[in-house]
Parts: sequence; C-alpha cells; structure tokens
Amino acid sequence: MPNIQPIRSRYRFEVLSGDQVRAIQDATLEVLDQVGIHIPSPRALDVFAQNGAAIDAERQIVRLAPDLVRQALAQAPRSYTLAGRVPGTELYLDGAATYAGTDGCGTQTVDFDSGVQRPSCKDDVAKMARVSDYLSSVSFYWPMVSAQDFGPLAPLHELDAAFNNTVKHVQSETVMGQASARYAVRMAEVIAGDRARLRANPPFSMLICTIAPLAQDKEGIEAGMVYAEAGVPVGFMAMPNMGATAPAVPGGALVVGNAEVVAAMVLMQLVAPGAPVFYSLLASVMDPHTADYIVAIPEKYLCNAAAVQLAHDWGVPVLAGAFGMDAAEPATWELGRDSVYTALMVPLAGADMITGGGMLKASTLLVPEQLIYDDEIYHTHRVLLEGIETSAEALAVDVIQAVGPRGHYLGQRHTRRHLRDIWIPALTHPRPAAPDHAQTDIRCRAKAQLDRILAEHQPEPLERAAQDELRAILEAARQESGA
Amino acid sequence: MSDELYDKLCQSVVDGEPEEAAELAQMALDQGLDPLDCINRGLTPGIDRVGELFATGDYYLPDLIIGGDAMKAALAVLEPALTQGRERQIVARVVLGTVQGDLHEIGKTLVGTMLTANGFQVTDIGVDKPASEFVAAVKDSGSTLVGASALLTTTMLHQQDVIEALKEAGLRDKVKVMVGGAPITETWADKIGADGYAEDAISAVALAKKLVSG
Repeated sequence: MPNIQPIRSRYRFEVLSGDQVRAIQDATLEVLDQVGIHIPSPRALDVFAQNGAAIDAERQIVRLAPDLVRQALAQAPRSYTLAGRVPGTELYLDGAATYAGTDGCGTQTVDFDSGVQRPSCKDDVAKMARVSDYLSSVSFYWPMVSAQDFGPLAPLHELDAAFNNTVKHVQSETVMGQASARYAVRMAEVIAGDRARLRANPPFSMLICTIAPLAQDKEGIEAGMVYAEAGVPVGFMAMPNMGATAPAVPGGALVVGNAEVVAAMVLMQLVAPGAPVFYSLLASVMDPHTADYIVAIPEKYLCNAAAVQLAHDWGVPVLAGAFGMDAAEPATWELGRDSVYTALMVPLAGADMITGGGMLKASTLLVPEQLIYDDEIYHTHRVLLEGIETSAEALAVDVIQAVGPRGHYLGQRHTRRHLRDIWIPALTHPRPAAPDHAQTDIRCRAKAQLDRILAEHQPEPLERAAQDELRAILEAARQESGA
Repeated sequence: MSDELYDKLCQSVVDGEPEEAAELAQMALDQGLDPLDCINRGLTPGIDRVGELFATGDYYLPDLIIGGDAMKAALAVLEPALTQGRERQIVARVVLGTVQGDLHEIGKTLVGTMLTANGFQVTDIGVDKPASEFVAAVKDSGSTLVGASALLTTTMLHQQDVIEALKEAGLRDKVKVMVGGAPITETWADKIGADGYAEDAISAVALAKKLVSG
C-alpha cells in the first residue's frame, strides 16, 4: 500500500486580512492592465489577441483588462485530483489537506557512497524517487536533480527515472518547449493508460517558472499550452527577488509575482477552458551586499503564506514553497531554524501542495539524507496541525478511573491502542532494532536510515510493456533532437 | 485438539489478552491437559515471541506488560494444578520492590515483566517498602535474587538499608542484590555493596542471569 500522509490542519493562519487581499488583487489587475506582461511566443500572442487582449506585437507585451482576467480564471477548477500510477496515491486538491513533495531541479549531488559533491545524474533521480516512494511525508515526486548524463534530453530521462521508481504522482519542472512537452504527454499517457485516463486521473503534472519581473519564458509558456490542451495540470511559479527582480517590499513582490502567475493561468484558460491549473509564488530577498539570493528570511515566509491566500482568492489550488533553504550543510542550527518556519507557515495557511524537501544551497544541492531530516520536520508539523481530540475515547476518563491515583498507564489496553497513534521521531528515538540505533551522531543515523531504505525498499515496478514504451518514446525524442 | 489449545494459549499471550488466557488455561485443565505442557508449549513460546517482537521494536512497552499480564493470568490457573515433580522450570526466584519513601513503580514493574518473560519467578512486593519487607519476602519465597528500585536521590540511600537488613538476617551470602533507578550508577552500586546495577529492564535481565549463574 502506498504510503502517503498529508497534513490536515485544524487551524487556518491568515497573513493577509480580506482588505489586504483585495488591495493586492486590485493592484495586480492594475499592473496587468496598464503595464502588461512580456510574452515572447507568437502562438500565445495570437491567443491573447483573439480574446481581446491589448497586444504590443513589437515589444511582445500583452495587457489584460480586469474583466478578461476574471472571466478566464472563473473557468479554472478550484478542486481536482492528481493521481499516482496505483490506487491510494491520489492527491485531492480540495482545500482539506496539504500534500508535500520533494525539491527539484538541482545540479549537484553529494554522492550516495563517497559523500563527495559531483554533478547530478539520472541515477540520482531514480534513487531519490525510490526513497520518496518509501517516505510517507512525500506525496508527490519532483525529479530532484538534473539527469546531466543525458544532455538536452535530460528532462525526459528525469521523467523516465521517476515513473520507474515511484508509484506516487510525478510533477516535473524541467520539460519545456512544445516538442519535449508532447513527448512528456505521451509518457504520461503510457503511465495513465490512455489519453482519457490522463485527463481524468493525471499521474503527471507540470510546474513552469515565470520570469521576474513581469515576463514569461517562451519555452515554458509554449509547453504550458501543450500540457493544458492535454489535460495535464499545469502550475506557474513566480520567484520575485525583493530588491532585484521585485520591489524591496513584500507587498510589491506579491503584486509582481501575482501578475506573472495570473497572466499565465489566463492564457491556459483561453487555450483550454477549464484546464486544471495551479498557482505558486516563492519570494526571496537579494543580499544587499552581494546580490546573492536569500531564501531563509522572514519576508519570504510571509509572502509564501500570503500567496496561498491569493491563489485561493483566484479560486485555484496552490503549490507553496517549503524547505530548500540556503544552508550548505545538513543538521545545522541554521537549517533547523529555517526549515521549521518555511515548512510550518504554508500548511498553516492552507496550501494544497508544498514542495522543497531534500535540497540545500537554495535548492541547487541534493544531499540525499536531507530528505530524512525534512521528513521528520514534516511529521512534527503534521501532528502539530492535527491538534487535540476531545472525544470520549480521547479524554479517557474511564481509563483514568481504572488506574486511579498512584497507578500507571503502561498496562492499559487504551495505552496499548493509542501509544501507536503517537508519531515517534525516529531520528532522535530510533527503534531498538534499527540499524542506526547504536549511532549517537544524528548525521550517521540519517545516513543509516537512507541506506536502509535504498537497500530494502522496492516500489511496485512499472509494467514491462510500459517500461518499453517509455524507452521507445525516449528513443524517438533522441532521434528527433539529433542527439 | 491439544496442539490447537497450546497455540491459542500462545496467541493469547502474544495478543495480550489476560481474560482469554485464563479462560483457555481453565479449558485446558477441564480437558485434562497437563498444566506443565500448557506452560511449556503454550505460554512460554508466547512470551518468547512477545520478547522477540519487543526486541525488534515492533512491540511497545504496553504490549510487553499486557503480554506479561496474560501469561500471569494463565499461570494463576495452571500453577495450582501442577503435580509434584512436574513443576515449572524456572531460572531463579527473585524479589522485586521499590524502597521505602519511594512511590515509583514503572521501572520496577518493567523489570518484573522482563524477568518473568525470561523464566524467573518474580515476587513483586510493590512500592514504598521498608527493608524488612524485602527480607521477609526473600524468606517466604526462597529467592536467591533481590532487586531494589529507587528513583529519588533521597530514597536511593534505602537501597543500602536493604543490603544491611539482609546481612542482619544472615541472608546476604545466599542472595545477590541488584539495584536500579534513574539516579543509580555503577559507582553507587559498588559503594553500597550491591552485586550489580542495570540501566534498563533489558540489561536487568542479562544482569540477573549473570548473577544467578555465577
């Protein structure tokens, strides 16, 4: 049985008041209408033109009237389901739960055996998919690093490694361009069974980054249209950097990022009305001395939580950023501090999906055992947000009466039953027989847990015929690219 | 038929069902089964399995204690029916208690459960017991091992009282004394003249086996 434990928060934390949400949305509509978005795609410009948007063809700028935005987004579904390749792996994006995924798109890996940092490869994607398949904190898998051993075909090979090594939902953030997107859709059809099943229960979704400020990437936006037409859920992530690619104020960063995401989602609805889309906005701050990218900073946490409210106000699911911090080393004070804020605030705000587990150095470096640390923080938050039950069974008055003063609860069946419901952090309290039990260094324990998962966990294999079909698609892509 | 009943007895211990274990034991006696066979082929394999599951981390402490309760409930039915010469084989008899002025029960109870599971016959005299009660229990049960528990720095001094009282009663050379509890250390055990100290219930079993064999 696939192992997925989403967060079901009893609380709702709102960074923005209703008036503040309105103010940001209005400011965004004003920017879209007056300033516009740079969209360097002839096809996208045509679609916008046909739907009454104001186009400056020479500058490739599209300006969108508020009514056009509202009407288009009204067609986007608020709720839909992402599937895995077996039953029990569904992500119900309906506002009732937060599902977490891994980080992705890294370029460097701390080698599984030698511990030495090196360029990432396809096997890393496969191994981490297997670890993700095992961990209940991971509900969906982003290929964590680039399959650099496959050159320009890396994104499709990342999908191949992911589909073969986890039954969980796969979301990519690298397969861009219309040609590659069509191959990715074919691969997803193989996993789903056919085209109709892909639409009904998509085992694959896509996240595309916008360009800050106020622009889209040609390859990204054109791939997005292919996905939307195929019914593959497609999200857009804005990454405003306060001081560099966005105003140095959280509100302004939200307006800029919001405008980028909204423009892209509008285009998807114009191309394929009713297409499932999702929203994502990850803010950061420019280091005022070096122009480096700072993600572990309060303004980012605030913006990421606020973005959840903005997405839901537009009526679409949201993917929020968590983990993936600046720190270069696992198991440090710095990382502990940062991971807690980033990973707690967004589920508290009601995010449908969160992403970012397993990576360091601002999501560039895969440290395999980092996913074990993040799993433990995730579950701490999951339990925190589930709150306290007050049913008769949970208040246990009959048991308190039975034990009475001066007794103990160890011999009670109620204790036996409910002690098992309590999640025990395994890194700090390993099971007696666990291979890491004798280790006192938390780093050794994390590595031992990772090694055990890799040695023992085998996900349900993809059917042989499907494996062959994926290989054939990769070969066709290779021939077409001339690689 | 008898094999099936032994299996059920075993399972009632593994599942931690004291009432069921006692009922099954009575049923076995009613059917004329040998109580010693019921113990050796039903209860002992059951508690061994509980111990294994605990050692691997699959079982928690309550599983261990309730499994022990199930075994005790069945033994209470079976032991009176044992005939002369067909008694249960035990590793040793042991008296356990928490010293005077100290109400802490859990650690001592866990040690008792683990020792029972490992073939010791345990007389648990309870908590807040003066040294004289340890001595009386040793005499009554014919035990060769005493375990004295203390959880407070103020009550740990009474562990020494237990040793002194055993000496005064002329029993010190017949029994080994082990001590335990949060503030207790090997150094403290040596200082008061105890024969051994164990950090937790699992190492207490190893210690007890070592003390009674040597």
